[in-house]
Amino acid sequence: MATEARHTTLDAPRLAKKKRRPWDTAFHAYVIASIGISIAALVWLFGVVLIDGLPRLTWDFITSNPSRRPENAGFYSPMIGSIVLMFWTALVAIPVGFASAIYLEKFAPTSQAELDSWARNIERRHRDAGGGGLGKLRVAWSRVWAKIGPRINQILEVNISNLAAVPSIVYGLLGLALFVQIIGFERSLFTGGITMGLLVLPIIIVASREAIKAVPSSIEQGAMALGATRWEAVRKQVFPAALPGMLTGTILAMSRAIGETAPLVVFGGVLFATSQASLNPLESFDSTLWAMPLQIFFWKFEARTDFQDLAAPAIIILLAILVVMNLAAILIRNKFSRRW
Amino acid sequence: MLGLLALAAIVTVFVTVGIVYVLLSEGWTGFFSQESIIDFLTGTTWQPVSDKFGVLPLLGASLMIAAIAAVVAIPVGVGSAIYLSEYAHPTFRSIAKPVLELLAGMPTVVLGFFAIEAVKPALVNIGALPEGVAFSMLPAGIVVGLLIVPLIASISEDSLRAVPDAMRQGSYGLGATKSITAAKVVVPAALSGIMASIVLAISRAVGETMVVTLAAGARPNLTLNPVEEGQTITAVIVQISQGEATRGSVQYGSIFAIGIVLFLVTLLINIIAMQIVRRYRTVYE
Repeated sequence: MATEARHTTLDAPRLAKKKRRPWDTAFHAYVIASIGISIAALVWLFGVVLIDGLPRLTWDFITSNPSRRPENAGFYSPMIGSIVLMFWTALVAIPVGFASAIYLEKFAPTSQAELDSWARNIERRHRDAGGGGLGKLRVAWSRVWAKIGPRINQILEVNISNLAAVPSIVYGLLGLALFVQIIGFERSLFTGGITMGLLVLPIIIVASREAIKAVPSSIEQGAMALGATRWEAVRKQVFPAALPGMLTGTILAMSRAIGETAPLVVFGGVLFATSQASLNPLESFDSTLWAMPLQIFFWKFEARTDFQDLAAPAIIILLAILVVMNLAAILIRNKFSRRW
Repeated sequence: MLGLLALAAIVTVFVTVGIVYVLLSEGWTGFFSQESIIDFLTGTTWQPVSDKFGVLPLLGASLMIAAIAAVVAIPVGVGSAIYLSEYAHPTFRSIAKPVLELLAGMPTVVLGFFAIEAVKPALVNIGALPEGVAFSMLPAGIVVGLLIVPLIASISEDSLRAVPDAMRQGSYGLGATKSITAAKVVVPAALSGIMASIVLAISRAVGETMVVTLAAGARPNLTLNPVEEGQTITAVIVQISQGEATRGSVQYGSIFAIGIVLFLVTLLINIIAMQIVRRYRTVYE
C-alpha cells in the first residue's frame, strides 16, 4: 500500500529530459535489464523444452512404461510413482510440519517472565487443590520447563533454519544410510517418500508459521475472553483461520518435492524396470523407485542420444503438473485470503 | 495434546542428529578408518579406482560453480530486486513475482537439461566455449546462477521494501534523483538483508546437484579455468551411488566423507549469513 502511494504522490521530482544525467539513465537501464534477464531466461527455457519436446509428446508416451527400447519408452509408471511418492511425503511432512508450526508459533515459551509466572500459577493451583498425587509431578515439571524451555525453543528455531539450508543430496545420504542400510528398508517408493518428507518438513514449518503469524492475536484473545482455554482458542479459531495459508505453503512445498531429484538419485536406480507401477501406497514398500524427475535424469544421463531425446517430452509433463500446482496455490491464496 | 505438538517440533532435531550421526559414523567406519584424513583434505587427485581420495579437486569445482553462479546472480538478482521494489508498477510486480517464483521452483533436473540443450550451444555460438565440447563448468555455473537469482531477488526485495519511505523523501528533498536515491540511500539501508540473501544463495549453489551432474562433467579436475570440465562434490556422490559400490567398500564410505565436507561448507556459509543479519540489521520504526 505504501508503495502505491509512492507511485502516485511521492515520486521523485521529474527532471526535464535534457537535464537527465547519464548515470541515471545507465542505472535505470541496468535494473530493467536485470529483471528482463530473469524473465527472458524463463521464457527461453520454456521455449527450448517445448520445441524439443512437443513433437515427441504422444499419447503412447503418456500411457506406456519406460522400456529398454527408446522408441517404445513412455512416462506412465514414473507419473504413477511420483503420485505414490507424494502420498508418503505428505503423510510424513504435513502432520509433523503443522504440529511443529502450531507449537513453535503459539505455545513455545519465549519470555522468561511469562514462563515463571506460569510455573508459579501451576504451583498455586496445586496448593489450593490440596497437593499430593500427580499434581506434584506437574509442579516439578513446570519448574524444570521454566528453566530449560526458552533455551530449547531457541535451539529448535536455529535448527529448523539450518535444516532448511542443508543441500538436498545430504537428505539422500541420510535416507540411504539410515533407512536402507541401518533399518533395512528396500530402496522403494516408500523409502524415497519418507526421505522426501524429511526434506520438505522445514519448508512446511516455515510457511505454516508465517500463516499462523498472520492471524491477529485479537482473534485468540476474543475466544479466550468468551471462556475458551488457550488450547480451544488455537484449535477452533486460530488454526481454521490460518489453514488456507498453511495449505498454500504445503502445495508449494509439495511442488518442490515433486521436482526434486537429488535425494532420490542417491538410492541408485535403473533406466527401466520390468515391474508394474501401482497406485496403491501399500504396495510401495518394495516397489521400484519410480519418479518423474528421476526418470528424466536417467534418460538425460544416458550415453545413447535416442534415450536422451525422451527427456524433453517428459519435462513438458512435469512442468505442466508444476504449473497446475502453482496455480492451485495462488487460487487458494486468493480465494481464502482475508484481511484482518 | 500439547506434548504431541512439542514432540513434532523435537522430531526436527532428530533429523539434524540423524544427518550428523549418519555422515560421521558411515564416513568413519567406511572411509576414515582406512584412509588418512590428511591425504583426504590435502590430496589433489580424486581417483577411487587407484585408491586416491583427495577432496580438493571436488571442493574446487563446487566453489568454482558457486563463483560463476555468484558472478551471474548477484548483479541480476540485486538489480531485479531494486527494480521490483523501487521502479516497478504494482501491476508489473504482481506479474513478475509469480514468474520469479516459478523460476525458483524449477526442478533442477530441468535446469540441467536447459544447461546442456540451450546455454552450452549458445556459449559455443558466441565463441566462449570451443566447438564440440561435451562438458564445461561455465554453462553449469551460469544456470546455477539463474537458479539462485530468485532467491537473491525475493529476500533483497523484502529488505529494500522495509526501508521507510521517509528516507526516500528526505533524499528527494535534498535534490537527489530517483536512481541516486535507490543506489545511495535505499540500497545501503537494506544492505544487511541483501548481503544475507547473497550468502544464502551461494550456499544453495554449493549444494546444487542435478545441474552440475548433467552439465559440468564427470572428471575430477583441479583447475581455475571455468571453461574446463570439473566434477563437484555433489556430482561425485551421484556418480558413486549410481555404480555398484556396496556398503563396506571404501568407495561407499567416501561419499559420506565428502558429504561431511559439503555439510560443513554449507553450514559455515549459513552461519555467516545469520551473523550478517544479526550484526548489521537496522530495524526501522
